[in-house]
Amino acid sequence: MNSENKQWIEVGTTDQIDMEDLIRFDHEGKTYAIYHIEDGFYATDGICTHEAVHLEEGIVMDDEIECPMHQGIFNIKTGKAMGPPVCIDLKTYQVKVEENKIYIEI
Amino acid sequence: MENNINYNIIILGGGQVAAHAATTIRQEDESSSLAIITNENYLPYERPPLSKSFLLNKVKESDFLFYNEDHYKKLNIDILKNEEVINIDFEKKLLESKNKKITYTKLLIATGCKNRTLDLENVNSDDVYYLRDINESIQIKNKLDLAKNILIIGGGFIGLEIASSANQLGKNVDVIELADSLMGRIVPKEIATIVKNKHQKNGVNVHLNTEIISITKIDDGYEINLSDNSVVKCDMIIVGIGAMPSVDIFKDSPLKIDNGILTDQNNKTSIENVFAAGDVANFFHPLYEENIRLESWKHAQNHGVAAGKNITGIKTEYKEIPWMWSDQYDLNLQLTGRCDQYDSFIKRGKDENEGIIYFFIKNNKIVGACGLGIGGKIGKDIRLAGMLSERKVEIEEDFLSDPSSKLNKLLKK
Repeated sequence: MNSENKQWIEVGTTDQIDMEDLIRFDHEGKTYAIYHIEDGFYATDGICTHEAVHLEEGIVMDDEIECPMHQGIFNIKTGKAMGPPVCIDLKTYQVKVEENKIYIEI
Repeated sequence: MENNINYNIIILGGGQVAAHAATTIRQEDESSSLAIITNENYLPYERPPLSKSFLLNKVKESDFLFYNEDHYKKLNIDILKNEEVINIDFEKKLLESKNKKITYTKLLIATGCKNRTLDLENVNSDDVYYLRDINESIQIKNKLDLAKNILIIGGGFIGLEIASSANQLGKNVDVIELADSLMGRIVPKEIATIVKNKHQKNGVNVHLNTEIISITKIDDGYEINLSDNSVVKCDMIIVGIGAMPSVDIFKDSPLKIDNGILTDQNNKTSIENVFAAGDVANFFHPLYEENIRLESWKHAQNHGVAAGKNITGIKTEYKEIPWMWSDQYDLNLQLTGRCDQYDSFIKRGKDENEGIIYFFIKNNKIVGACGLGIGGKIGKDIRLAGMLSERKVEIEEDFLSDPSSKLNKLLKK
């Protein structure tokens, strides 16, 4: 998809995501994970790159998300796979907050 | 290669510990000569796929190496493959294989476990399969291509994961287990029963409280009489009845061994400059204030990392909370902490769809937990239970038993 086709999609409101937590957002057959951490709001793909599990059930620690199935860890800001068992990075998405609404660019 | 070699640091065993310990050593120490000695013909590889995705042909060998050859070359880590060490002299700091004498300054023992074996009367030992390494997984995979009826002896994690895989490959599978419940004593019966029902719903015959009465060789396999009065025909037998530390070569040495190699919280054994990590180590756990031995993926990784640091002189106390998983069909089972030493338990969730967790409680604190759910359903709460046990947080039954209450709130108290 080239950048002209990208659009900002509203995924929820800031009060829906606790600090150090995430919510799942489904859009056109894809799942995204929207995080609230100390530095703000971030978004990645919502499915672990290891065994196709929803990261929604995972645990946020500082700026990392840990997959609930096999404790694979990704950096929330960069999507980087931080070590075994995960080796494929998560895709990340731009996030903006207007008023109290959260948008991601997809 | 010469027959007499010397390394500053040798890691004996080429599994998960070796991969992580060697890499960690290199992060701290670029100059010491370093080698991994393995009796296998492979670079260190992941073992979880051996009973699951590898048997199901979803991944190939090269997909689950911890690191490829370049990684070890770049870090100047020698890997001596197919090298069976047959003798060790701790005084001379010498390892001997058939053709080599290898001396070391520091040694990390990471020989892992070996399978418990079974003598089966009237059975050709070539027809009996075990699973620990990649060669055995390949043998099982090849035989599964031809076999139709599989008998699995032992209803533990390995046996059940193979049963799940064989079932998904369309095989008829019987699992026999001596005990009255699958997966040993520590998994709560309610959870073990859900797993058993899942297997049975998928067509696996699970025989609890059952042993083999007699085996008769027939044309294309074996006919086996079981103590539950059933007769099972099979053309392949797989045994998964547990493992024990791989310590045979240390038998006549001064190395202190008691259910594995005894170490302190810094991977140190009873012999100076000799360390141990992973399945083979019975290590002192500072949180539990006693020695424990673990056989799990996460432990092998992190104990290896700790050993790497300790060997290079960065004193690192290992006090990870035990954690392991088993995947069968779409079910994910997890255990954390201590699941055998509790006064009472608190249950959360009603079934695998919601996720069901048993929290094990001692002195009003979580000491361990066992959960079962579809996909990643229970992972977060199991992880949090482990963290709560580490921090010795007091809990309230009403809060813990309510699936809607968020456990991470307890951490923030």
